Amino acid sequence: MPQRDGRVDAPAIRAPWRSIVAAAGLVAVLVVAARGRAGDEPAEKSLGANKAAPAANALDPLLRQAWKDAGLKPATVAGDAEFLRRAYLDILGRIPTVAEAREFLNAKAADKRARLVDLLLEHVDYPKNFATEWTNLLIGRGRQERNVDRAALTAWLRKQFSADRPWNEVVYDLVTASGSNKENGAVNYTLAHLETEAVPLTSRTTRLFLGQQLQCVQCHDHPQNDWKQADFWGINAFFRGLKTEEKRMAGADGLEKVDHVELTDVPTEAFARFDRRNGMMGVAFPKFIDGRKVDKPGKAVRRVELAKLITDPEGDMLPRAMVNRTWAHFMGKGFVNPVDDIGPHNTPVLPEVFDKLTEEFREGGCDVKQLIRWITSSAAYQASSVRPGKAKAEDDQFSVMMLRPMSPEQLFDSLLTATAAHRTGGGRNDDKREGWMRQFLFTFGNDEGDEATSFQGTIPQSLMMMNGELMRDALSGKPGSFLSDAVEQAGRQHRSPAGFMVDQLYMAALSRHPSNAESTPAVAYLESSPDAMSFLQDLFWALLNSNEFILIH
Amino acid sequence: MTPSIITPRGMHRRHFLGHLAATTLGIPAAQFFANLRANAAVARKNQRSCIVLWMSGGPSHLDIWDLKPDSEKNGGPFKPIATSAPGVSISEHMPKTAKQMHHLNVLRSLDSKEGNHERGTYLMHTGYVPNPTVVHPGWGSTAAFEIGSRMEDFDLPHCVSINTPGQGAGFLGMSYTPFMVQNPNAPIANLAPPADVDDLRLDRRLQLLGRVETNFIKQRGAAPAVDHQAVYRKTIKMMNSKYKDIFKLDSESPEVREAYGKHSFGSGCLLARRLVEQGVTYVEVAMGGWDTHADNFDALSTRLLPELDQGMAALTADLASRGLLDTTMIVWMGEFGRTPRINQNAGRDHWPRSWSVVMGGGGMKSGQVVGSTDKDGVDVSDRPIGVMDMIATMTKTMGIGIDTQYTTPRGRPMKVVDGGKPIAELVG
Repeated sequence: MPQRDGRVDAPAIRAPWRSIVAAAGLVAVLVVAARGRAGDEPAEKSLGANKAAPAANALDPLLRQAWKDAGLKPATVAGDAEFLRRAYLDILGRIPTVAEAREFLNAKAADKRARLVDLLLEHVDYPKNFATEWTNLLIGRGRQERNVDRAALTAWLRKQFSADRPWNEVVYDLVTASGSNKENGAVNYTLAHLETEAVPLTSRTTRLFLGQQLQCVQCHDHPQNDWKQADFWGINAFFRGLKTEEKRMAGADGLEKVDHVELTDVPTEAFARFDRRNGMMGVAFPKFIDGRKVDKPGKAVRRVELAKLITDPEGDMLPRAMVNRTWAHFMGKGFVNPVDDIGPHNTPVLPEVFDKLTEEFREGGCDVKQLIRWITSSAAYQASSVRPGKAKAEDDQFSVMMLRPMSPEQLFDSLLTATAAHRTGGGRNDDKREGWMRQFLFTFGNDEGDEATSFQGTIPQSLMMMNGELMRDALSGKPGSFLSDAVEQAGRQHRSPAGFMVDQLYMAALSRHPSNAESTPAVAYLESSPDAMSFLQDLFWALLNSNEFILIH
Repeated sequence: MTPSIITPRGMHRRHFLGHLAATTLGIPAAQFFANLRANAAVARKNQRSCIVLWMSGGPSHLDIWDLKPDSEKNGGPFKPIATSAPGVSISEHMPKTAKQMHHLNVLRSLDSKEGNHERGTYLMHTGYVPNPTVVHPGWGSTAAFEIGSRMEDFDLPHCVSINTPGQGAGFLGMSYTPFMVQNPNAPIANLAPPADVDDLRLDRRLQLLGRVETNFIKQRGAAPAVDHQAVYRKTIKMMNSKYKDIFKLDSESPEVREAYGKHSFGSGCLLARRLVEQGVTYVEVAMGGWDTHADNFDALSTRLLPELDQGMAALTADLASRGLLDTTMIVWMGEFGRTPRINQNAGRDHWPRSWSVVMGGGGMKSGQVVGSTDKDGVDVSDRPIGVMDMIATMTKTMGIGIDTQYTTPRGRPMKVVDGGKPIAELVG
């Protein structure tokens, strides 16, 4: 039986810690105070102390009314640790480091959640994360055409998010971008989808920016909504008159190769032709989906005309599409699903909240950060993922936080954040990181970056998580890794180094302190066993392979 | 009870690890070793399998299975040759497969509307056209769900895709997603734990994991968490399986390796034979490069067809000689055929209006041609076959109820075979 007071004999403690240090190749001298660890666990206290209601949010009255009307008992407010992890993953695309987590959990301010969100929105990882996500949405994860410069597009997006550009302006630039795809990264969006008469470009543009699935009506009129074949080809006609030109330059080896691609708009009288189901040929001139046409399509730069229509300040579709997609990013599901199939045929959940948020976003000048603040401060985002009673997942109307798989990028960055696997062997090993990233995206990422179906949980994925090279390095305890640093720090603890160590592992992997039921046996084991290092590796392995790690909750 | 080496000193194992009986992951790894009872003979009893040879890109049916030597503009340079099936002729560049045609059937009158790679791929794998409101399971996942999951103590994946990821499991959930073998000539990545993790440590890891999982799932109990756990359970089973060497082709004789060919398609065919031999329900072997908009005839005669011919013929002959062809269906298909018209780049473009699929084995009748196209290969002239008819034929051949119906998570009824009829000439 474990000793109730946690006291153990000094030699019994020292022995395992020496073996850890030896295993980790460290020479630090251990100072082990044979003091008990009882009462040395801040876990329950700091988690329990901050259950203050979140600051009032304009959406909350609507949310609460809707839940009341539906007879739903909302989940309790998420604890600080739950909120912290969720906010880091959703805004920065990774879990918090131990230091970041401790700082937030120890903070006392009543408005510390709002402050955290503000802090994260100023963090360099915020534009990085949103640029990665939007690169995947704009051009997918799969292999790109030879002449698409993915890195330039990501860098361009990063700049936009970093500079807080209003969403309508970002979209305007993406739709109209021309010139060198190297200098103007936005050009790559159009370049990536020009094949087969810009059919993919037509479909992506309407889905991403307007929330309308027009791709089905490419071949036939829509059975469930009002879209007609001509609507698709009317948008498609805006993309006539585009010209691409490969610019060649001599490389370092003296050989000529493609340096960049120039995209230009050439005035044209061209129209789109399409096959009707009845075998007749259809013809379409530029026409927006609300029926508006371009007066003199031969004179106009058609993409500029299209961008004006998409970003028309009177229009509702662009803000609605962005609000729905951003809500889905933070909540796991949109008001309307699929997220880009908005219309009278597809009834939204919480329509009043959707309308209100759209209205605010539109009138506030399409400010993405403000949108994120509204969403993250809402009662829906603040709800725990612990389900009250036996409520069903289908009808909870965002009163309980959904469990969501991390994207491959989030999982990868979180693994490195938790383990510092890429720092083993001294310094940053960027080649190693890149190599892992490629493997990771191949195994975890599906080629269609369209929908959030990322972590599918296949056998090769679990094999990689359980036995892969990244995990081996992460757990090796080699200098530079988190485990090695933690062991070194534990060696300097005057109070229970074992208790410190277990706490560090839980904080690193799960961003929370272990419960007593979790820490007591682990600490007792560490203090009495000769294979402490291997136990720590195994515990860390278990935490990193758990649902609690791998899911956003 | 596993040895006490991993039990903390002075503490009862049960206190440390919690009530493992209550965890869903609580089967210690060591116990798996004791549980390896299934053998090939048991596994294969009444067991049917399917091997799909997936030709990604849309192969030219007109230059392989349905030659048009009498068509002036559309015929192309290839000559038809006679095969082991009386009255069935195929391309001169498929001589080895020609000798196996008495085991197979050519369906020359497929008819679909999907001329886009992505949509065609979805259609051929599911029987359905893509629909934004529901993701249909690949038929292989359905077969694995219906047949594979009835097998107890079988620790290989029931649905395997070689060379490409294959079609997902849609609403059947991630545990029926195909197990992907990226390269049949290389070992399965990460199958073994690191050298310093022996069975006992793996056991300890799993028990620690079980502990974290139990708390989390008890509180939240939502589908993604449970699915994730199920996949881990399967993964561990496979890591410890005596079948794990099944993926290593070097135990085959040089003659066999040579017969199949060591390219990824040939090796994939050999691996497929090894897998169905052990009782795996569905194996797809993909071969790419068929999108021949330019230089169609060069690509086919010098590269694509010799490789296909070697792998496909060796697989058919091998299955037959091992007595496996009666229970193993072979289906050769791509997302559509190619245009009768030869374009200005000596290529052929996409053509879903009239094209061919080949199938045989699994107890089907064989050596036949079903359906035909007209003299120039433009339209189906006899016995049009829809993709659902093909799916119906496959479903019936596998012994899966033709009226099998599921309810999707959104509550929508979904049939495995929707409106299609099994091809009477094959399974009547």
